[in-house]
Amino acid sequence: MLDLFWVEFKRSWLNLRRYPSEFVGAVVTFSILFLLLFLGARFLAGPSAEFGERTEALLAGFLLWTLTLFSYSSLSFGLSEEAQTGTLEQVFLTPYGPIPLLLVRNLAGLGTQLLLMGTIALVLLLITGARLSFTPLLLLPIMTVLLGGYGLGFAMASLALLFKRVQQLVGISQFLLIFLLQYPLEGSGWLAKLGYFLPLVPGADLTRQMMAKEATLDWGLLGLALINGLAYLALGIVAFSRAVRAAKRRGLLFGY
Amino acid sequence: MLEATGLHKRFGTLVAVEGVSLHLAPGEVLAFLGPNGAGKTTTIKMLAGLLFPDRGRVHLMGKDPHRDPWALRHLGAVLEGNRNVYWRMTALENLVYFGVARGLRFAEASQRARNILEQLGLAEKSHTEVRHLSRGMQQKLSLGVALMHHPELLLLDEPTLGLDVESALRVEEMVRELAREGKAILLTTHQLEVAQRLASRLAIIQRGKIVLEGRTTEVLGRFAGEHYLIELETPLPPERLAALRALGLEGEGPSYVYQGDGEGLWRLLEALKPWPLKKVARAETDLLEVFLKVVGRA
Repeated sequence: MLDLFWVEFKRSWLNLRRYPSEFVGAVVTFSILFLLLFLGARFLAGPSAEFGERTEALLAGFLLWTLTLFSYSSLSFGLSEEAQTGTLEQVFLTPYGPIPLLLVRNLAGLGTQLLLMGTIALVLLLITGARLSFTPLLLLPIMTVLLGGYGLGFAMASLALLFKRVQQLVGISQFLLIFLLQYPLEGSGWLAKLGYFLPLVPGADLTRQMMAKEATLDWGLLGLALINGLAYLALGIVAFSRAVRAAKRRGLLFGY
Repeated sequence: MLEATGLHKRFGTLVAVEGVSLHLAPGEVLAFLGPNGAGKTTTIKMLAGLLFPDRGRVHLMGKDPHRDPWALRHLGAVLEGNRNVYWRMTALENLVYFGVARGLRFAEASQRARNILEQLGLAEKSHTEVRHLSRGMQQKLSLGVALMHHPELLLLDEPTLGLDVESALRVEEMVRELAREGKAILLTTHQLEVAQRLASRLAIIQRGKIVLEGRTTEVLGRFAGEHYLIELETPLPPERLAALRALGLEGEGPSYVYQGDGEGLWRLLEALKPWPLKKVARAETDLLEVFLKVVGRA
């Protein structure tokens, strides 16, 4: 498995090194997107509006969204692409089975995803002049968000396996991610309580608090976020496993 | 090594494969032939664990690939119409990647990849990205990927398609060599002369059913029937030919055909005496003729 991780890591790294334009393109696109959102919000709020701390909160949420987006969409995009280019069946011929291989692939791709998010963060911090707090402990809530992101990714990959052309759906569902990542856990109403059961919400709330408000790590909330992330990852894997069986029954692994 | 029994597969109202049974022993090359849409690819995908059969069982080295993924450790496949390899990676990187993905350790995969590139005549292209390789080279690389983890069984779906003459002959020689090493090989191809040269056994599938199966030499012998070619130094004069027609001689000369048993042939040769003979030989048939007869009849 360690060797498998190494070749998967090399594969994602080679892609990045050989096709840097894709990396630069992603940095530029996401930076412009944030600036448009940021300037758009200022325009709507009027010239006298002061964002203050809210810039940091907005930026923290945005960066978390980019990272979750990659973890969420890379699997379904990858599967669609492999079905199209004709390598999917060779991937399914692995004796490890497709799910362990794709889990390792997700983990191995994390390095390049973090590098991408780090670069976008650097560019936006320089442009906006905002200050974000990055402590090593921040990695813990981010990991819980990523677990949930991969879970949703497996669920979306199930659809990609069965219906192939799901890019539109992935595109639209990005906005659902924004909703989940910005969902407020504060308050005592049922809506706040519901947040603990929604995917990504507890980990995202904790990450936002730590990045934008320099809050200390709430270990209780981290535990809940971990349970939430693992539960959605397990659900995603179960859905994907069923989709693999359905695809093998209906002959959907080949052809696009 | 491979045992598939009673495979059935239906897609909606279309019965793609019906009651197909195949077996392969070490060192055997089985040519699995059939017209387009006959059920070859569907069968191969079921053998490779990529498609569940509705009924029937597959065993690779005694293991069912549909229940035990480690059965796939014994299988290498070149699948038709697929790239089989990553275009953004070099030839060497592809071999190492798929070697490890099939269960090899990294160091072993790296060493094996270099040997295979040498064997395939691709050593010079080791560090070339696949998208810059010719189609023939990509096809050879696909074969290399299938061989990386020393599988005992190979499924080769059109392995020589799109190759130039030299590359195709090289791949043919590799297949022969692999069979000599004891690998069991299931080969599908529309190039029937390739199948005839390589296969020790053949099976023809038509509309989802196996319509002919047997050892290649036996099948060819059976279809050749009791035909003999008789070549004379000079054509027979019309009156002599007319007399010999009654004994079964056909054709206008100097090459003639006799259709009948051995006894009749001796009677004919006796009657021909002392006309100078050039050659007497049993007529041979080729796989193309067999294929057309079987598929036409079916």
